[in-house]
Amino acid sequence: MKTTRASLETVVSPIYLIAQSPYLLADQVGDQVSSHSSLLEENHELERQIQELAHVSQQFIALKAENDRLRELLGSQARLPHEVLIVEVVGIVPTPGSFELIVDKGSDAGITEGQAVLDAGGLVGQVVSVAAFTSRVLVLTDPNHAVPVQINRNGVRSIAGGAGELNELHLESVPVSADIVEGDLLETSGLGGRFPSGYPVGRVSSVVVEPTSAYAQVIVTPTAALDRTRHVLVIFEASINASSVNGLEIGELERIQP
Amino acid sequence: MNPLRGGWVVLMSLLVAMLLAVFHLPESWPDWLGWWRPSWMLLVLFFWVMELPERIGLVASWVLGVLVDALLSQPLGLNGFLFAATTYIAWRFFERLRMYSIVQQCGVIFLTILAAEIARSLVMDLDRNYALSWTVLFIALASALIWPLLYVFLLRIKLLARVE
Repeated sequence: MKTTRASLETVVSPIYLIAQSPYLLADQVGDQVSSHSSLLEENHELERQIQELAHVSQQFIALKAENDRLRELLGSQARLPHEVLIVEVVGIVPTPGSFELIVDKGSDAGITEGQAVLDAGGLVGQVVSVAAFTSRVLVLTDPNHAVPVQINRNGVRSIAGGAGELNELHLESVPVSADIVEGDLLETSGLGGRFPSGYPVGRVSSVVVEPTSAYAQVIVTPTAALDRTRHVLVIFEASINASSVNGLEIGELERIQP
Repeated sequence: MNPLRGGWVVLMSLLVAMLLAVFHLPESWPDWLGWWRPSWMLLVLFFWVMELPERIGLVASWVLGVLVDALLSQPLGLNGFLFAATTYIAWRFFERLRMYSIVQQCGVIFLTILAAEIARSLVMDLDRNYALSWTVLFIALASALIWPLLYVFLLRIKLLARVE
């Protein structure tokens, strides 16, 4: 059944590419005609960002080395570095109430089902089906999606489920006594083995405790720009061989915390 | 002169309907417009079955429906069934439908697509917890409102390309 669906998707996926082409064309034209001064301005802005990020990444390298040494002392395994593949979002599945994206690389680029997908802000979702040249990404906010998370501040664990609303996740079955406050950053806990640990998922935007309920209602805003993002990163566990993906843009991911 | 008797026109129009079915609006446009997306595939299919009942049958529309299942990542066979059921209605009553005024046709379209969308919602609910919402009504209304334009447009194309 899976293979039937994958081959059918390979047949129909060009339709998404064609439907996206006006936007791709508009991007191209926009690039061609953008003025010298705006390009210069963008260039300055990007240079400034590189300076900042380079500074942060220097600290990050030192911290990573220190962390690895401490882990060695404790006798626990060092975290494996992850590799990423940059892919472009070429479509949105229009079924109301569902949140799925189509991206422009599939089994040809070595993508497999279950891989985590990020953007610059945080976790976007996971790959749920792979055709030859495209794959489908189930987004965090889909009512069928849930991700095991922990709170960055104190390590309280929970599960963030999609609610079918854009920019809203719900934490499931949180006891009223749990130490969760507004503004807490949630990151993937890595439990369950599907998502790698330590990637930001969202910020707690409200905690409501109803006197009649045993559970607190915790609403989370995803940190990823789920409705705007054009490029996303597919995470490969370190095992993949860089040469096996035909020279596609793969680099070691150095996650930079703000 | 006309070896395929215009079969390519039918295929092209269905392909365009598929494109319209997955095309996403620019981000700057209001969100609620997305809820009023007519059921393009069903409308175009309905037209061709009504006009060419001897050429387009249940099997063809079922195959098309299965492709649409893969396109919209819905349970395999759901759209196959819905397309075949709609085709059956258009095929069974094509003589009557052609005699109807455009307003009556709109009424038939509204009811057919409403039934199809409700059936879709119920199956999707079994499969993955999507609740039945007002969207089904919006889709059916949008489809019925766009039908007169689509009908005239496709009829013109049919005559121009001599699809018979």
